[in-house]
Amino acid sequence: MNVEISGLTRRFGRTWAVSGVDLAAGPGVFGLLGPNGAGKTSLLRMMATVIPPSGGTLRLLGRDPGGYGPRREIRRRLGYLPQSLGYYPGFTVTEFVEYFALLKDMPPAAVPAAVAAAVERVELGGRARAKLRTLSGGMLRRVGIAQAIVNEPELLLLDEPTAGLDPEQRVAFRALLRDLGQHATVVVSTHLVEDVGAACGQVALMDQGKIVFQGTPAELTARADGTTASGDAPLERGYSAVLAQSRG
Amino acid sequence: MSGGPQDVDLSRVWLGVAAQVWRREPGRAERLARWLLRSPGLARALVTTPSLLLGWVIATAVVLGAGMVATWGTGTPFVPLIAPALAAAGIAYAYGPGIDPAWELSRSLAVSDRMVLLVRGLAVFGLNAALGLAACAASGAVAAVTFGWLLPMTAACALALAVATVARSANAGVAAGLAGWAITVLAGRASAGQFTAVLTDSALVLPYLASTAFCGIVIVAATRLPKGTS
Repeated sequence: MNVEISGLTRRFGRTWAVSGVDLAAGPGVFGLLGPNGAGKTSLLRMMATVIPPSGGTLRLLGRDPGGYGPRREIRRRLGYLPQSLGYYPGFTVTEFVEYFALLKDMPPAAVPAAVAAAVERVELGGRARAKLRTLSGGMLRRVGIAQAIVNEPELLLLDEPTAGLDPEQRVAFRALLRDLGQHATVVVSTHLVEDVGAACGQVALMDQGKIVFQGTPAELTARADGTTASGDAPLERGYSAVLAQSRG
Repeated sequence: MSGGPQDVDLSRVWLGVAAQVWRREPGRAERLARWLLRSPGLARALVTTPSLLLGWVIATAVVLGAGMVATWGTGTPFVPLIAPALAAAGIAYAYGPGIDPAWELSRSLAVSDRMVLLVRGLAVFGLNAALGLAACAASGAVAAVTFGWLLPMTAACALALAVATVARSANAGVAAGLAGWAITVLAGRASAGQFTAVLTDSALVLPYLASTAFCGIVIVAATRLPKGTS
């Protein structure tokens, strides 16, 4: 298992953003669903080693990120796309991706080819030399995805990756996700249920800091059977049904 | 039939070409930094740091120049008074979580964000010291701040970075830098009776307290986490 989480908690002041999460994930695409404020981003940030947990155990790629050495090793094999991607507007697309490739400790000789591959995978080859300040929101999102995958991570964490992408780009991105999930553990945090249905083999639904459902998208859909849960699509109705039951 | 052009994987060929066309050859400064720091990532962070950008250099020169003029005009040593606060606030403004756009990402990278900060701190003080030395050539009025503050801080930062690079630990580097500073600078100042001058000279107390309070407010504001990220 690339992700092993047990009793994980995270507190900010008096607020428990994550309160006792158990989770295990191997290679494949894992969807993290939930309403705004459910704790998805906090959970993802702990998995990205950005913030430490308040309690519980967290093992990533078979290592404990609490120690300096293991944390550095995890980070070498990690890709992370934050919810709001910060960028240096004066950098070009390739400069930005290359900058993070080097800070991920990639061998310098391997960086140019890896950057080219990552930029092409997100279909930004035509804008490779464009300054980031000239790109649209959707393009910037794809630049963020390129920096996340440039090191061919074994653990890829994506927070709202399809925000700002148009429908055609979202379809292409889901195909990319499925491709990446063949070798790596890809955790996608989203509140867009259709992304999960199209790309994820496993899904967890978070609410109020806890995981209230874990299973396949089909199992989530089935949770709406016999209920009056609202939603335009079967998966949305399953989502609503689980939330209603957990808040019951 | 022998392999023809139809057997060529054009995507692969294009990636090879793109890698060469798009690659950014490191300049002399970056190559030297790679060798010194033993880290291509840190070297790139150093050469892309704001302290090496023209706008930042001009702003630094303007601040130092204004401080010198104010010092000459009033006789109050404004530059030494505000220099520590200015340096701290400048670093907080440039690299704090609410300011550095890539702060969130930098927290998840193999090359520690603290190492990057050390490198950038050295660049900041190194540049300031160079400007101070240049100003000394024009006028001896800034010699005190240059030799009493900027050069020692540059040396302390360089020591911290050297130890951090060897130990591969930013914390070890900071500890070494602080120890070096305490031993060579503070101890010397204290023995010369200058250490508490800012508190015993009534003309300096109010400006010092005001600049300290201002600095604190600026740092708290600049390093506050953006809403929604907690």
